[in-house]
Amino acid sequence: MKRFLLIFSALFIFTGNLYGHKVIIFAWVEGDKVYTESKFAGGKKVKNGKIEVFNSNGKLLLKGFTNNNGEFSFDTPLKATLDIVLNAGAGHRGKWTLNKEEFFETEEEHPAYKSENNIEKGNSLNRNNLNSETIEITKEELEKVVEKALDKKLAPLKKMVAESMAGRSKFNDIIGGIGYILGLMGIAAYFKFKGEKGSEK
Amino acid sequence: MHISEGVLSAPVLFSGIGLAAAGTAIGLKKLDYDKISRAGVLGASFFVASLIHVPIGPSSIHLILNGIVGLLLGWAAFPVILVALILQAMIFQFGGVTILGVNTIIMATPAVITYYLFGRLIHKGRITAAIASFGCGFISVLLSSILVALSLYFTDDDFFEVASLVIVSNIPVMIIEGIITALCISFLKKVQPSMLS
Repeated sequence: MKRFLLIFSALFIFTGNLYGHKVIIFAWVEGDKVYTESKFAGGKKVKNGKIEVFNSNGKLLLKGFTNNNGEFSFDTPLKATLDIVLNAGAGHRGKWTLNKEEFFETEEEHPAYKSENNIEKGNSLNRNNLNSETIEITKEELEKVVEKALDKKLAPLKKMVAESMAGRSKFNDIIGGIGYILGLMGIAAYFKFKGEKGSEK
Repeated sequence: MHISEGVLSAPVLFSGIGLAAAGTAIGLKKLDYDKISRAGVLGASFFVASLIHVPIGPSSIHLILNGIVGLLLGWAAFPVILVALILQAMIFQFGGVTILGVNTIIMATPAVITYYLFGRLIHKGRITAAIASFGCGFISVLLSSILVALSLYFTDDDFFEVASLVIVSNIPVMIIEGIITALCISFLKKVQPSMLS
């Protein structure tokens, strides 16, 4: 019995990475595009995985496939909470919910197209007209520029957080699970003991 | 080989729950108290085995160990695997709650089938036992892959496409599990043959 236990505990050596068997998709917003990245729990990228984007009512907004690097990006179809579902085949499914707050909150249509042109036009006009060191820029345009820069800087951060949130199985969890099993064994053994004691009398 | 939550259709899920309940009932009846410690150890190994990643193939594959669980427990594989799957779903979000029935069928049915196919052979000579155990480990993973494909087929997908993908990507696992099962059984035969009853 003890040696049997020894053999199976030797399997623990191989659980170095401790990854579960899930498929994970993360999504983040940069400007007016949504970027997604899909991986298997061990780190392998999902190639040619099917992606479907739904609004919060379950209506399908668009779909596509991941490239060889597990990436798929699309223009923001709707600035509301989006459910992005990945189907990696053979029953592997993952989901990421992109909350409304992550989208830049200004007008309803895509502001970036219009305002980018505006900023460039505005700057060049001002330069020509004023011919001085300062460049006039409206408060709105400034906001958009800052927002765009922030999106770019924050995207890798968001990715890091999402990855750590994806939850690598911890060693403690394994010990906990085995504890449950041993507990069940103990309960069964208790009842066996009770039964034996009862029949002796 | 765990199917994720939300993939299969409701009829498949319900039939999975029904069949798993029936199998578990039979398994519990056949689980006498003497086998409890063996059941506990095997359950714990099955629980941990799915975390062992085999980095080969297009999709993600992992060890299952249902071959040896079936060989040593017979019908009792059903409750043991069910408990291990419940813990995996709760602690690692591996598989899911509604899909518990289907996943149990996928893992435990091949365990019982290979028990009936190979169970008697392990009492014979050393080499016969080793070959039989290899076959047991290999075939139980093969049957599990087929059951995965069947569950997906009854939900939506094209059967042969999914079946071939799952089976082919699991061939390394079949071989590795065959070897592991053979090694364990030959070890037990030498050290504690009473366990192989």
